[in-house]
Amino acid sequence: MSSSNPKDIFVLVKQVPDQGSKAGLNPDGTIDRARAKRMLNPFDRYALQAALHTKKAYGGRVTCISMGPPPAVEVLLEALEHGVDRGVLLSDKRLAASDTLATAYALYKTILYCGHFDLIFCGLQTTDGDTAQVGPQLAERLNLPQVTYCEDFSLEGDKVKARRIIEGGCQHIISDMPILITVANSYHPLEYKSFRGTWKVQWLQRHPEDLKKVITTVDLDTVGADPEKCGLKGSPTIVAHTEKVGEIGGNCKMFEGQAISDMVVNIIEKSNVKEYLKIS
Amino acid sequence: MTDKEIKNSNTSQNTQNTESALPIHETPRGNVMVIAEQILGELQPVTLELLGAGRLLTDKLGTKLVCLLLGHNMAETTKKLIQYGADIVYVADHPELHTYRTLPFRRVVCDFLESLSEPPHVTLLGSTTTGRDLAPRIAAHFETGLTADCTELDIGPYEHKSKIDPSKLGLYPDCLYAIRPSFGESLKARILGPWKNPQMATTRPGVMIPLRADPNRQGEIITVPVNLKPEDFRLNVAETVREIASALKLTEADVIISGGFGLGTPEGFALLRELASCFPNSAIGASRKVVDLGWIPYEHQVGQTGKTVRPKLYIACGISGAIQHRVGMSKSSTIIAINKDPDAPIFKFAHYGIVGDVYQIIPEMIKQLKCVEKEQGEKTIVHSH
Ligand SMILES: Cc1cc2nc3c(=O)[nH]c(=O)nc-3n(C[C@H](O)[C@H](O)[C@H](O)COP(=O)(O)OP(=O)(O)OC[C@H]3O[C@@H](n4cnc5c(N)ncnc54)[C@H](O)[C@@H]3O)c2cc1C
Ligand SMILES: Nc1ncnc2c1ncn2[C@@H]1O[C@H](COP(=O)(O)O)[C@@H](O)[C@H]1O
Repeated sequence: MSSSNPKDIFVLVKQVPDQGSKAGLNPDGTIDRARAKRMLNPFDRYALQAALHTKKAYGGRVTCISMGPPPAVEVLLEALEHGVDRGVLLSDKRLAASDTLATAYALYKTILYCGHFDLIFCGLQTTDGDTAQVGPQLAERLNLPQVTYCEDFSLEGDKVKARRIIEGGCQHIISDMPILITVANSYHPLEYKSFRGTWKVQWLQRHPEDLKKVITTVDLDTVGADPEKCGLKGSPTIVAHTEKVGEIGGNCKMFEGQAISDMVVNIIEKSNVKEYLKIS
Repeated sequence: MTDKEIKNSNTSQNTQNTESALPIHETPRGNVMVIAEQILGELQPVTLELLGAGRLLTDKLGTKLVCLLLGHNMAETTKKLIQYGADIVYVADHPELHTYRTLPFRRVVCDFLESLSEPPHVTLLGSTTTGRDLAPRIAAHFETGLTADCTELDIGPYEHKSKIDPSKLGLYPDCLYAIRPSFGESLKARILGPWKNPQMATTRPGVMIPLRADPNRQGEIITVPVNLKPEDFRLNVAETVREIASALKLTEADVIISGGFGLGTPEGFALLRELASCFPNSAIGASRKVVDLGWIPYEHQVGQTGKTVRPKLYIACGISGAIQHRVGMSKSSTIIAINKDPDAPIFKFAHYGIVGDVYQIIPEMIKQLKCVEKEQGEKTIVHSH
């Protein structure tokens, strides 16, 4: 059942603007990243759980990698609290306005810089980019097999067994390692932070020199990435135009806090439910 | 492919007026290509939708609509692709292509694209679990742009004025406009990548409109070589499990009563059926979570990996409104949500919401609707006299 040696496990996480809070929303609906509240991409919590589960079940070391401006170190600290072993932040002004291709290129260079790996976990998608492309694009650069939409997996010897979602069913997969896996949000939710992890992070924050050894910040030169392939220059796509979409968001007529029968009377009166009844 | 970049260099004229003298780039004459999707030989509806959308693009570009089909023994499907709009169907037929697997499929697609003298101008796939697995690999291989999950496609000009990269400056006459919702659907973004072909996009299933099948349409069928390598078999599919959806009238119903995890037990669907019986042309829908739990068969599932529905009335009972559910039902004319959590995401896009327990609200709703029905019934009788 169990697999032979401890594994080198990488997990990729991104810091995204918290869209639940209205702070940092420009009048045109775009996000002002400097003012917006920040959070760990919700989908990456499942990837983190998959990485930590692998370590717990089969042994190994978890490296958490992120690309973003300096505040993104917050998500690496959060990952440390959950029990990852080290964090690497790729941060460089020349990465601004990277699309998924440029992002995948920069992360690919960072992964090579981080050394040997058996498994790479990504979230299914981000809530800001919302493309689900970075994972497979990275796998292509790294020439790896991939399992996207992975709901469940186990290691058996030097093989990975995985189940992936498809329309109307699933696929049962057996693959060699190394492999890249994007974890679906139907995988197990992230467990609570460990007491040890929280304590460790508190200690590290009081000892910046030690913190630097656990979370390293690197730039394009450190990882040997070509700046021409990053940022705006390295991005084959641009957002040429955005427009606000009217109906979605906040137009729901809410009925709450009243007596049940009153709410139901109201909704039947206000909506067009009656039009579809048997008689009419 | 990288060095093939934009070979049409600047054909700029008018050097006097340097202010507005943007170089005008030639339109590449490549075709519009749709990569067909099949699961165990069964052609997926999104492919026909893509052919419909692709036809509109080719009509604007004056080029051909081609379709690449990978599979095994797909002769019938090939004919269907022509009936639905393809001018040329390229067929890669191989037993190893019967079941979708990333590596063999990416091999065949990349080899095929490399073999063409002119890359397609546009390449389209569905935003399905297959399309979203394959498309990014192709895009990364050719270092070209890919826009995910589009809801509209168009062709039009684009003027690039940013001087950050002078080589990109200029006017591009016929670019792919890939239009998609962003930031949780609150914005619509038009995304372009005219510098490199193919310009790629995936489109959301159920959004684009297929053409009507025309049995008299003529098209060419061309066989594509398949050269798989041992490294393409590092990953294997032991089994593909599918629950065959029977022809449930979910997609044709005027009213859908849909249940989610908030029902608490499978028995909750009995209550939903009672509510549904108030409406003549109604059906029962469900979220994936309850389908996975075995509370109701898969054929009732609405959403990204279920059915896309657009009834006149959709009543969501105990459904949180996850994006994967929303994409399957957000086009419904009226959406009513019943959920005990006032912050449930479903209230962000429903038209009417009641905050409360389904087991208190639905029985009350049934009671009141039956009264209304009776009243209306009496009125009708009075009128008919
Ligand atoms: C690749 C992929 C594809 C997917 N495809 C689909 C798809 O096609 N369709 C789909 O639906 N999902 C799909 N999902 C799953 C989706 O992400 C959600 O997990 C799922 O839709 C949640 O189902 P739910 O709303 O029933 O459950 P939950 O998210 O658990 O929501 C239950 C809701 O019920 C409310 N509630 C609880 N008790 C009561 C009560 N007594 N009265 C009223 N309200 C109550 C709660 O407040 C909550 O909002 C997919 C996921 C992935 C990763
Ligand atoms: N800037 C980033 N840093 C680290 N990981 C990322 C970054 N962007 C994307 N990813 C990974 O790729 C996944 C898919 O992202 P996306 O393609 O943006 O939807 C995410 O869930 C992350 O695991």
